[in-house]
Order: sequence, then C-alpha cells, then structure tokens
Amino acid sequence: MSAKSKLISLAEMVAQIPDGASIGLGGSFLHRGPFAFCRELIRQDKRDLEIIKASPGYDIDILCRAGAVRRVRAGIVAMEGNFGLAGAYRKAVESGRVELEEHACMTLVAGLRAGSAGVPFQPVGGVHGSQIAKINGWKKMADPYGSNEETYLIPAIRPDFAVIHAHEIDAAGNARVYGSPHWDRVMTRAAKTLFVTGEKLVETDRFREQPELTLVPGFMVKAACEVRQGAWPGSLEPEYPVNYAEVQDYVDEPGAGIERHMSRAPEAQG
Amino acid sequence: MSASFTPFSHVVINLARLIRPDEVTFSGVNSTLPMLACLLAKRAYDFDFTWLNVAGGVDAEPAGAIPLSSGDPALMHGSAAVFANEDFYDLCTRGGMDLCFLGASQIDATGATNNSVIGDWHAPKVRLPGGGGSAVMMPTLRRAATWRTEHSPRTLVNELFFQTAKGNLQNVVTPMAVFDKRDGRLALQSHNPAVTIAEIQKATGFTFDASGAVPTPPPTEAELSALRSLDPDGRFERDAAITLPEAVA
Repeated sequence: MSAKSKLISLAEMVAQIPDGASIGLGGSFLHRGPFAFCRELIRQDKRDLEIIKASPGYDIDILCRAGAVRRVRAGIVAMEGNFGLAGAYRKAVESGRVELEEHACMTLVAGLRAGSAGVPFQPVGGVHGSQIAKINGWKKMADPYGSNEETYLIPAIRPDFAVIHAHEIDAAGNARVYGSPHWDRVMTRAAKTLFVTGEKLVETDRFREQPELTLVPGFMVKAACEVRQGAWPGSLEPEYPVNYAEVQDYVDEPGAGIERHMSRAPEAQG
Repeated sequence: MSASFTPFSHVVINLARLIRPDEVTFSGVNSTLPMLACLLAKRAYDFDFTWLNVAGGVDAEPAGAIPLSSGDPALMHGSAAVFANEDFYDLCTRGGMDLCFLGASQIDATGATNNSVIGDWHAPKVRLPGGGGSAVMMPTLRRAATWRTEHSPRTLVNELFFQTAKGNLQNVVTPMAVFDKRDGRLALQSHNPAVTIAEIQKATGFTFDASGAVPTPPPTEAELSALRSLDPDGRFERDAAITLPEAVA
C-alpha cells in the first residue's frame, strides 16, 4: 500500500506561503539551495518575508533585490566563490529596508535546535567576547550543576516554513541528500511546516533499500515537488556544479534588475 | 639565489606554515586562501594532519581543478566521511579543534575581529558578511589564524567598528607580514623580504612589537611546486589580486 501522494507543483507549494511568513532555507551559499523555490516566491510577488539560514547568499540576495524580504536571521552572507559581498542584501540592510538579526552560524543553529527539541532555549559554546550577544540581548547563565562556567542561551527559533532541495524525493515526501546535509537536518526539524523540492522523483522502494540515506522522512513533510535544476545557478553535486557564468550574469544585470536572470532560469524554460 | 614571494604566495604559504603535525585543522566558507593553504600543506609537507572543511570533507583531495568556492562539494572528494556543519562546530566547542582559519575584515592589536560592519552596527556604512563561525569558534578553539589580502590601517586597526569575535586568535598573515600573538598583543614575527618593518608599521593601524622579527624564510621548492599544482593557470592568484601598498611596491 502506498502512502498518499504529497506531490504538488512548485507554484502550488509557494502559493501556500503567506506574505510575512518566516522561511528557513536549506543548503549553504551556492550549494544545494532551494533556489528555484526562491525564484517562485518572487514570481508570486511575496512580501515581508523573514529568511532564516546560517549561510545564505544568492537566495537572500535575489529575494532582497526583488523586495520580498523584511527580516533576515543569518550568520554569514556572501555570494561566495569569488563574487564577494551580496550586493542587494547589503544595500537592503544598509538602507534599513531589511532588518538583520546577526548570528554566528552556530547560534542560529542553537536556536533551531531549541525549536526542534521543543524547549525555549538552547545553550551554545563560545560567543564570549562577541558584541553580537549584546545586540541580540542574549543572556548567559552560570552552570547550575556546580562548575559555574557561564554559557550563552539562545532563544528557540521555529520558522513557519522550511524548504530544502534534495537529490531525490518520492511521492510520500521522503527526501534523500548525498554528501553534506549542511544545516538541513536541524532546519527541517525546527520548522512548523516543511516543504521539500527534489531534483529527481524516485520510487519509495529506493528509499527502503537504504533508509540511512533519508534525511527527511515523508511523514514530516507537508508537500513535495520535483524540480529539475532546482539549485541552479548553484551546485547540486554530483549532478551539476555551480554555473559561475550565470551567477556572474545575475550579479552584472543592469540596474540591479532580475528580469533577464529570471527568464534564464531552468524552470522558466517552456 | 632562493625563490621569492609574490604577495599571493606570501599569504598562502605562510597560512600553510601554521599547520602542525597531527593536529585538527579547519577551513571554512568564504576562505579560498586557507583552502589552498590546507591543500598546499597536504601536498608539500611530510607530516600528517587532519583537514576538516566546511563542505563536510575529512582529508579530502579534490580531483582535477580546485573549486573557486571553499565550500564547494568538490571538497568532499576523496573523503571517507561526511563531517558536516553541526559536527565540526560541536567538535570545536568541546575543545577538539586545534587550528581554524577564520576570516576577518578588521583585526585589532589584541586579535579581536570585526566581520560585521563598517560604521555603526545600527546604521552601517557597509554591511559586511557577518562573523560566520568566528564568535563561537574563536573563544573555544586552540589557535585561530586569519588573513588579510589588504594590509592597511583600515584592516589592521587600533579600534574595531564592532567586535564580532574575540578569543584565541594567534596569527595574522598578510602580503607584507606574519604576526604572532605574544602577551596578548599581535607582534611581528616575520616580514615579506620585499618590505621593511618601517613600511609595515606605516601600513598598520596599531603599534606592535617587532623585536626578533626576521625576513620570512623564502618559499621552498616543495611549497612552490604544490602551489603551482593547485593554481596551474594562475586563476586564484589573479582573482585574489593581492598587491603590496603602492609606496612599497
């Protein structure tokens, strides 16, 4: 007996995201990000989004360029791969159009760990001597079990949605990732509603053969969608590397526009 | 006559020289030069060390061209394990990380770093990438090293715009100099033979102890050969576009 299908179209998936939602995104910098999903947010003219990701780059930049973002919670933001700063994100924060909650990557993850465990906060190592703690009003606590060592406590983060791009999905929403999961495991556990996009739709039997490769079990997933080239212009190794020419073309688009880039995206081709 | 450094090779080779036998060393995102340094050390030095990278690789050996992105999944190639982000951060905060290369836009004399803003945090003139791992890693690892491709009073500063991270920063490598922390302050350990100590002081926003500073020992054939193998067409060197200050060059 097969589980009920969770497959919907990318447009239908994005249509479920209201303006003002907080969205945790998978991947890291130019690698295995749900970038087709981000472009669909732009096509549907979403506004006032809060984007949560330890190391965003192309995704936050294009969403800022499109005016879709109100708030960002991130640890490090750059286009990477020799492209330097994320220009549209940078301008959005400098102008005050976008509010930043600055993290160290692991403090964001501590918040997500708290969210995924259903507790109000999570201790995190380090942070001592960083003014990020003060900016965010983070509190520290002496070890109540005797050592008195002080540890910072990061408040729980529970994104309204999380979206990751996986190598393989099935109709039940199971998602398999090859290589590094980056931060996707904790992100998928912390979110209230989870969507997965997958490069390839496969039969559930393939998941049953090696369940240890399943990053996300289908029961956690609200909806899934097959999206070929879903991480374009970033990489999905070993399927495709970063398309540096297209990232450069995006960076160089005149007037900080995105029309040319959006029209070149794989999901926009007939 | 021994070989001399280019500004680029001074940074990469001197980062590599910070790596020690049998230690655990980490290179992160946005860290092309430390990625090259770790690969150089693997190829040029006759000792073992564990190299963890942000792509999840453990002692990876990329096949073919080295990726431009220091977080590229190509840096998993040849790895026998996936040691992903939460793993290497937890390793660090529980005391298992010996050397990490952590980026910084500004560094002060105590080795505290700013990677957050130019100007006021709440009204930034330039919003920088953010500290990434540094606020968590810097206080918990054994030694951190950072690098600047621009050695100037606006990168090596007397006062940071914002203190993103503070902790066990031990070394700073630039095209001109290698600094080593002594008694809580960065001191000059060696200088690119192409520049004088006076020129380094002029290009540095804080004063430093230069007693005992020597010309950086020239690159060895093994180091140069490894660097050539990593950057055969000079792409990384061109992209890095590192120059010495005009008054010096």
